[in-house]
Amino acid sequence: MTTASETKWVGRSIRRREDPRLLVGQGTYIADLTLPGTTYVELVRSTHAHARIRKIDITKAEKHPGVVAILTGQEIAAAMKPIIIPAIRPNLGGELQVPTVYPLAIDKVNYVGHPIVAIVAENKYIAEDAAQLVEIEYDPLPVLLDPEEALKPDSPKIYEEWESNIIWKGTLGNGDVEKAFSEADYILSERFYGHRTGAAPMETRGMVAAYDNFTGLTLHINSQRPHILRMALSKIMNLPHDKVRVIAPKDVGGAFGTKAAIYREEFIVSYLAMKLKRPVKWIENRMESLMSIGQERDQIHYLEIAVRKDGKILGIKDRMIADSGDGSNGVYMGFVMPWLSAAYLTNAYDIPNVHIDLTCVVTNKPCLSPSRAFGEFPARFAMDYALHLVARELKLDPREVFKINIIKEFPYVSATGITHDSGDYVGAFNKLLEALDYDKVKQEQKEARKNGRLIGVGFAMGAEMSGLGSQVFVPMENQPGYGSATVKIDTYGMIQVLEGDSPQGQGHETTIAQAVADELGVNIEDIYISYGDTFNTPFASGTLGNRGASYTVSAAVLACRKLKRKMTKIAAHLLGIESDSEDFIFSNREVVWKKDTTKKVKIEDIADVAILAPTKLPQGMEAGLEATAYFEADIASMLSIGVHGAVVEVDPSTGGFKILRYVVVDDCGVPINPMLVRGQVHGGAVMGIGNALYEKYSFDESGQPLATTLMEYHMPSAADVPHIEMVEFNVPTPYTPLGTKGKGEGIPAPVPATLASAITDAIDRPGFKLLNLPLTPESIWKALNEI
Amino acid sequence: MNQLKELQKSSADGTKTIQVRVNGQIVEREVHIRMLLVDFLREELGLTGTHVGCSVEGRCGACTILLNGENVKSCLTLAVQADGANILTVEGLGTPDNLHPIQEGFWEKHGLQCGFCTPGMMMSAYNLLKVNPHPSSDEIREAIVGNLCRCTGYEHIIEAVQYAAERLSSMSKEEREKLLTY
Ligand code: FES
Ligand code: FES
Repeated sequence: MTTASETKWVGRSIRRREDPRLLVGQGTYIADLTLPGTTYVELVRSTHAHARIRKIDITKAEKHPGVVAILTGQEIAAAMKPIIIPAIRPNLGGELQVPTVYPLAIDKVNYVGHPIVAIVAENKYIAEDAAQLVEIEYDPLPVLLDPEEALKPDSPKIYEEWESNIIWKGTLGNGDVEKAFSEADYILSERFYGHRTGAAPMETRGMVAAYDNFTGLTLHINSQRPHILRMALSKIMNLPHDKVRVIAPKDVGGAFGTKAAIYREEFIVSYLAMKLKRPVKWIENRMESLMSIGQERDQIHYLEIAVRKDGKILGIKDRMIADSGDGSNGVYMGFVMPWLSAAYLTNAYDIPNVHIDLTCVVTNKPCLSPSRAFGEFPARFAMDYALHLVARELKLDPREVFKINIIKEFPYVSATGITHDSGDYVGAFNKLLEALDYDKVKQEQKEARKNGRLIGVGFAMGAEMSGLGSQVFVPMENQPGYGSATVKIDTYGMIQVLEGDSPQGQGHETTIAQAVADELGVNIEDIYISYGDTFNTPFASGTLGNRGASYTVSAAVLACRKLKRKMTKIAAHLLGIESDSEDFIFSNREVVWKKDTTKKVKIEDIADVAILAPTKLPQGMEAGLEATAYFEADIASMLSIGVHGAVVEVDPSTGGFKILRYVVVDDCGVPINPMLVRGQVHGGAVMGIGNALYEKYSFDESGQPLATTLMEYHMPSAADVPHIEMVEFNVPTPYTPLGTKGKGEGIPAPVPATLASAITDAIDRPGFKLLNLPLTPESIWKALNEI
Repeated sequence: MNQLKELQKSSADGTKTIQVRVNGQIVEREVHIRMLLVDFLREELGLTGTHVGCSVEGRCGACTILLNGENVKSCLTLAVQADGANILTVEGLGTPDNLHPIQEGFWEKHGLQCGFCTPGMMMSAYNLLKVNPHPSSDEIREAIVGNLCRCTGYEHIIEAVQYAAERLSSMSKEEREKLLTY
């Protein structure tokens, strides 16, 4: 059989197969789908952060010409179960309180943007107009925005039946922390704050639901997790599973985690389609999107690090408080992200003694929902920036402090239970220093200082999850972590790959085809990839957490290998030879006998026999040419490493700074398509820069969101960001068939510590620290003037 | 090409008949005076390549088109304002078999990931290349400030535009002009 080393497609920077349709404007995104008779939904949302609803008056709206239906909380709550059901509720041990959440608010609202009434109309202009006519009277309640405030025993309760505002609480860690602290030469103890920021994909959420009595409910939605959503819809809406079909469109305009949670609108739109027996469409507008999804990070870390005088960390303690928002989004409920943040806190470092207390608190903000660098962003900032502070305090070279702590032996299991499968973290770190020309920059820094210019260099690491195996995923989310794929060869020898994930621009159609083409010895043109439709794809937990290249591609490869065993048997039979599968190679669309390469059979001839002429198959062999494989790595979890470095120049009079260089050293195991990996790294680093410097979901004291347009939620434009340099440093993992690992998820996470440490290095004054994100000129100026 | 005329038929029910040339074709429609140009293109004409990313904020640029030679955000424009105008959308750029050099550049250099910002991005690149055949990377960054991309980090977009610039400048003046006028 062929091996990965004989590849012809994997490792090549070929152009993407999905691009032509997108380039000519023929992508099919959710907003492009309209079914005959479609009606449009507009949601009336709360204008208060915390209030009791005294009265909802829909009489004027009802009379508005073109309005088809109006839905309120009472009606929809009577028709279904609360949204947070066990099947989509995280399962992390600890202490959990589960809120009762219905798709529309009934008598109380918990954040600005909480949906209250749904208007359905013949077109979206009418729906918008009618929404203006709904009158809602509120009795405002005290607003809780600060999680530490919300923790106080006498603070009001957001969910009245709860005893506290804690949605989840638990501890993580291992080892003898007290002993480590008693043996330490120095203890660093700081409060770090990572603000609420995240991903705002260019395409907002959207969906079109249709219902008929025979096929049931079909929901077209730009979801990352169609299979999970289907399960949830069926359970919550009391529909038989076979009467629910979820279809993610072929093209999705980015997601970065935001389209992985289960939100209220899915149920509103589905219910309305069932009720009206007409297709119902809802496309989230930008304001709704910024108000309610992709808000993440938002953590406080009271971090203590016990170190020896050579910089070796003996142990850490962290008291983490996360602002979960209202905790209402299915699957994540606002605390899975901080939990993962805690689990990955030790990052790339060998820290034997760890104790983390994590408290996740509900407030009158929207629920935290996943966002690229899932949970890790503020934790990486705290941990890696703390290492720089330790180095400054102990007057050590930060390089040495990092090096002494970096994990050197693999596999490695952290004190919080995270398995690092393989890699060369020190090698990657050294590569960064080399790429930065660290010593030279330090020299230049001295020179520049003589001329009054403040230049600094900083770095940070990111041990990035590469998918999560079932061992982690089942406890975390009640969902499997395996990769799944079906490979089918059709009557003409064309190869169809079906996967249950559904991509949002990552390039699955290209990368999966590259891997399958090598396995089967065909051209990528012979392969077509199908995804998104829960009626014909194998069950999978969705496109998230870097699963594509680690788990899904591996499943596709294993499915090919299963199929190849059958194909070689058929080939041997047709050639009239006795031989093992190992005696054949797959090349040029043919199955070739190694012992005499003139003996070969075309794939299409094998397909013809297996599908159309089963009488010619070996005795007893079943017809057909398809196989499904579920890949689970032989290790609890795989991680890949990224090391970031930056050179900055700071203007101390304003606190402003400029990024002079930004370098990323990246490992993705074996890159399937290096050009696509570069694209992920560039995009991830820029998202990290945006998150660290400009983007902030801020609220006024009454809980009104202040960043509800892209003017206020400032995402970086091309002119805002530096050129990103990338250096490949790939170490294949032994745990996937091709040595591939996922890449994309964690890239933004090392950015804040990289920049904060570079700025601190530039300022170079005792006592100067940046403990709060975002890193705005104002915060830098303040930090400078407070010392 | 036929001449476009501005039609002044507007009726009391808030509609008006407009005529526009879109991607070389003249179309006439009765539209509500409130209808946004982006909805007119997407819903009336089925040209769904022009996207809506920020809904009437004019910030994201996903809806960028060319209107009488200018880059216009079609979410900030009413359909009736386009009466008599000459419009180019992504659908008028090139075909799958005959991609415009800008499209080729984006394909060749991986200038897109999810592709949502891409049509608008390419329309901005179009006008840049019309006036500046050899833009530097800073000039490209400036030219696309009105187009946000959340996926690519812009690096590959810049390379894509430079690739297109090279392709275009290797062409004869006539060919080049043909590809940059509509
Ligand atoms: S949709 Fe027009 S600029 Fe964003
Ligand atoms: S490619 Fe996704 S927003 Fe630009």
